[in-house]
Amino acid sequence: MEAILSRSATYLFLLFGFIALGGAASMVFARNAVHSVIGFLVAMLAVAACYLTLQAEFLGVAQILVYAGGIVVLFLFVVMLVELTKFKEKRLFQIQTPWAVATVLVAVAAFGGVFWKTLFGPAAVEPLTLRPELAEGLKVAEQNAQALSRGLYADFLLPFEILSVILLVALVGAVVLAKTERV
Amino acid sequence: MPQPTLLQSLVIALIQVILVVILIFVIVPLTIFAERKVLGHLQQRLGSTRIAGTLTGLSGFLNRWMWRMGKVPVLSYWRGLPGLAGDVLKMILKEDVRPAKADRFVFFIAPALSFVAAVVVFGAISFAPGTLFTLPAWVPLVGGLPVAGAIADINVGLLWILGFASVGVYGILLAGWASNSKYPLLGGLRSAAQIVSYEVPLTLSLLVPVLLSGSLSFGELSRRMAVETGYAAILPQMVGFLLYLTCGFAETNRTPFDMPEAENELVAGFHTEYSGMKFGFFYLAEYINMAVVSAIAAGFFLGGPWLLPFGLQGLWIPESVPFLGQPNVLFFLAKVVFLLFVYIWVRGTIPRYRYDQIMSVGWKYLIPLTLINLALAAGIRYFA
Repeated sequence: MEAILSRSATYLFLLFGFIALGGAASMVFARNAVHSVIGFLVAMLAVAACYLTLQAEFLGVAQILVYAGGIVVLFLFVVMLVELTKFKEKRLFQIQTPWAVATVLVAVAAFGGVFWKTLFGPAAVEPLTLRPELAEGLKVAEQNAQALSRGLYADFLLPFEILSVILLVALVGAVVLAKTERV
Repeated sequence: MPQPTLLQSLVIALIQVILVVILIFVIVPLTIFAERKVLGHLQQRLGSTRIAGTLTGLSGFLNRWMWRMGKVPVLSYWRGLPGLAGDVLKMILKEDVRPAKADRFVFFIAPALSFVAAVVVFGAISFAPGTLFTLPAWVPLVGGLPVAGAIADINVGLLWILGFASVGVYGILLAGWASNSKYPLLGGLRSAAQIVSYEVPLTLSLLVPVLLSGSLSFGELSRRMAVETGYAAILPQMVGFLLYLTCGFAETNRTPFDMPEAENELVAGFHTEYSGMKFGFFYLAEYINMAVVSAIAAGFFLGGPWLLPFGLQGLWIPESVPFLGQPNVLFFLAKVVFLLFVYIWVRGTIPRYRYDQIMSVGWKYLIPLTLINLALAAGIRYFA
């Protein structure tokens, strides 16, 4: 039973992984910007499904809630209102080619390093937490939300708060930028 | 009890899914019919009465007899019911018109997205705690095995529900864009702004039961809300229920918040260019969403499968009372049906808001109110 379950979970993970790759590819290669956003949505939902096959329920559902439900909607909003079919704006996106190549190279190096380490390096035996004694008696597979909140509010409270301050700064900045035009 | 094999649990899940789909396709047409009749009676008319099936049966006889006596026949309450079959046939057989400049692919998937996002939510809804019924022994493969009252009562069920409720906005937004026509685009944009705005107070109002019960799974949350909260928790639950219901109306685009299809401003809003079964999927999705919102309100605030709402069950009726003290799927369904009636009732009572009024209600009143309610609930949780 357990073996069958874990094997089928692996197959499902592969299936959804390839769907995510397909969605990402269609996002990059689609001519129409709205089709790109739909590809992005597919990729996000497939990544959420990958999390679910790894028994990270909270992460998977949060992925749907935040990315598929929130961020991609904003993308769609912007893309629908800004027509990218005009020639001038297309040129605007084409002059960025050298920068894009450089970014892709850096990203490939970073992700390649991670993959190399995961595939051939020593496996991570220790869980990534500063105070493992807080996680005692917690079944991570069944109590995703509790485990994650331990991590956020006990182990990594300071980074978490710093992140929220950064978000607040971005929020205030957006309000200021939107307001200046009317004064 | 032997552990079911993978195949057996898959078959049981399939049975549950089929049951839920049957439930949806029973509840939705009946809601549409009830909407016609209830709205009719709210406006002092009879609603749809023309198609009544045979006039030779007992009901036909009683009807004619009451008309002859000069009374509106009581039995006319279900006259018009066979007309629903005609509606379904019309939608399936009607010509599927697509505007020439519409984006073919997006135009095609928008209704499907709407529909799927509405149906998938039912996966996390728990209709009854524990076992719903046990399959009889003569059933091949899965005989004698229990069928649970929820398809997947996962421990993050609430987030699943909220996540797919927010995915539902794509259907409307993409339909508005893909039609390549100005009224659908306006309707789609309005609706996206409205749904995204009202998601904030909706989520905040659902945090009250989460805070009071300390769980995110639908079944566990509704059990704790029904039988384990005290007297102090009744007030935030009632306020939360009203706030949630208001936001739920806005999320499902129902009157008084039916901006995306305000017919005297936008023709028919986002589905102006849709016809046939593609329109049918939007129509179905709207009613399924109403059922979902009602089921969530019933489960989180009205006690779910227990009889009394707002935690009064645990305070007033002990578990030893034979029928009323036990959870029952019928109580849950009765609450869902009542809330669907409230939807229709409100539609017949309250006129539509103006667009700017909707936005100011959402941001200036509902969000502060839900925050105050949340603080109240937190205080009760802390001190009691």
